[in-house]
Amino acid sequence: MPEAGNDVVRGTPLVDRTTPHHRVRARTLHARTRWTGLAFAALPLAVYGFVVLWPLLQSVQYSFFDWDGVSQATWVGLKNYTGFVTDPVLRSSLGHVLVLIAFFSLLPIALGLVSAAMLTRARQPGMGLFRWIFFLPQVLTSVVVALMFRRIYAAEGSLNSVLSAVGLGGLTRPWLADFTWALPALGLIGTWVTFGFCMVLFISGTSAIPDELYEAARMDGAGAVREFVAVTLPGLRGQIGVALTLTITTALRTFDLVWVTTRGGPGTSTMTPAVLLYRAAFQNPDVGKAAAIGVVMAVVCLLIALVITKVTEED
Amino acid sequence: MRAPRAEQAANYVVLVVMSVVVLWPAVTFVLAALSSDRAGRPAGVDWDNFATAWQQAGFSRAMTVSLVIAATASLGQVLLAVLGGYGFGVLGVAGQKVLFPVVLLGLMISLEAIIVPLYYQFRSAGLTNSVPGIILIHLGTSVPFGIFWMRAAFRALPRSLFEAAEIDGAGPLRLLLRVAAPLVSPAVWTLLLLAFMWTWNDYFLSLVFLHGDNVTATVALGVFQGRYVTQINLMAAGGLIVAAPVLVLYVLFQRRFISGMLAGALRE
Repeated sequence: MPEAGNDVVRGTPLVDRTTPHHRVRARTLHARTRWTGLAFAALPLAVYGFVVLWPLLQSVQYSFFDWDGVSQATWVGLKNYTGFVTDPVLRSSLGHVLVLIAFFSLLPIALGLVSAAMLTRARQPGMGLFRWIFFLPQVLTSVVVALMFRRIYAAEGSLNSVLSAVGLGGLTRPWLADFTWALPALGLIGTWVTFGFCMVLFISGTSAIPDELYEAARMDGAGAVREFVAVTLPGLRGQIGVALTLTITTALRTFDLVWVTTRGGPGTSTMTPAVLLYRAAFQNPDVGKAAAIGVVMAVVCLLIALVITKVTEED
Repeated sequence: MRAPRAEQAANYVVLVVMSVVVLWPAVTFVLAALSSDRAGRPAGVDWDNFATAWQQAGFSRAMTVSLVIAATASLGQVLLAVLGGYGFGVLGVAGQKVLFPVVLLGLMISLEAIIVPLYYQFRSAGLTNSVPGIILIHLGTSVPFGIFWMRAAFRALPRSLFEAAEIDGAGPLRLLLRVAAPLVSPAVWTLLLLAFMWTWNDYFLSLVFLHGDNVTATVALGVFQGRYVTQINLMAAGGLIVAAPVLVLYVLFQRRFISGMLAGALRE
């Protein structure tokens, strides 16, 4: 195990673990146990291989075929992939994802950063309670979240009551049934779900930034904004990367919220790739197309994760 | 270090405003669930909503199915995670230079990438619409995070501990059960809670794989709300019933949940 050295040092600081003698022994010990280790890991690896890896490979294979789930499949090459360009509904679902990313990702991260900047880094009594509140949306199942907002957005719902009460009665509408507003309305549900998480992530991140950096910035006469840009933002780089990766992939994969509230409608105005995948796979079987959507979604998620990690980890 | 009073007050203003934004939809939902008004406007408290929703949504059956799946799957997930984490973290695994990255890859693979062949493969094996079938899927998809999580926990233990026990002649299994397991029990408990939450809250897999008598509480709730669109108070009561088990755990074990989700997200 090449990385073992670090942990050894951390675990037992009194003994010099780097002596050659010890290294040899650790290696032989390791050589003796690695087959036992494989035996221990065999069950989880087998289940993982059967449920995840094998279907993953099959997905790629399926995506080159035209198959209705019952009769003989026929090879169609890349036709299922060209749908991303030629199929207007599939193409528009990609545009919807971009809108959702703005609401699921950019808006919550901006809000989280602003609130983290407004809070002082000192410990605040009662923070535990606030943390509990901000994480609440994370533990609610998506169906319940969808119901909560269905009620708020309904024609007779609380959003419209509030609008009428403040004299904006002209704006009231059944939000989720509106061709223009359904998608942003869904997006705001995502904002509600993710922003507390981003905020807690950033607040805990700022408390890890060394005080000296802030003192140095103050000595240089930096104001609050300069301090934020020069010290807080770079210090939160890792956390911002994590938040971006998680929220963008959540936006890209949106299914539950849409399925429970609008099923992609009205028309196709809230259609997402995941909903199209579900319909093509199980409702109106065009299995190859569904597999192709799944493969593309996976590749995009993977690329996003890799690019963001690369960018935010660089120094 | 504590902030001066004025700063503290300003902090509270920010925190309270943000909390209200988060809590407002939840609080109005609870009020709607209690309301005797069909549209869910606050009006008289009606506890019968919960009983009515329970009956009409068929929650006796669905909640039992969910409980069986979530309890079995989360225990199984922890078992697999401990086995894998112990292998990769303590003993080393033959071929780990290839195997470990393959496991980590799973952290980034979305369900959408596997769901289609998984369904058709399970269908031909007779594992669709089957509780053991969906438990198996929950187990498989949880392996990457589980191994990643328990490996980190095992590696945080001092290596000298294992060496000392080895010298005493303890085999790998005894080492795990007697020495390592008690020391990593905090990580095990956190993983168990997170696994329970994730399986209980699952909607997509249940929607695809289970039908009829086997639907979980989340899917039953989805069906119920589609049928009772006009009875908001019942819909909200049903929602609270389905959310309740995880919410109770969240109240009881808030620190574990929050630190677990943060650490899991940061992959630390």
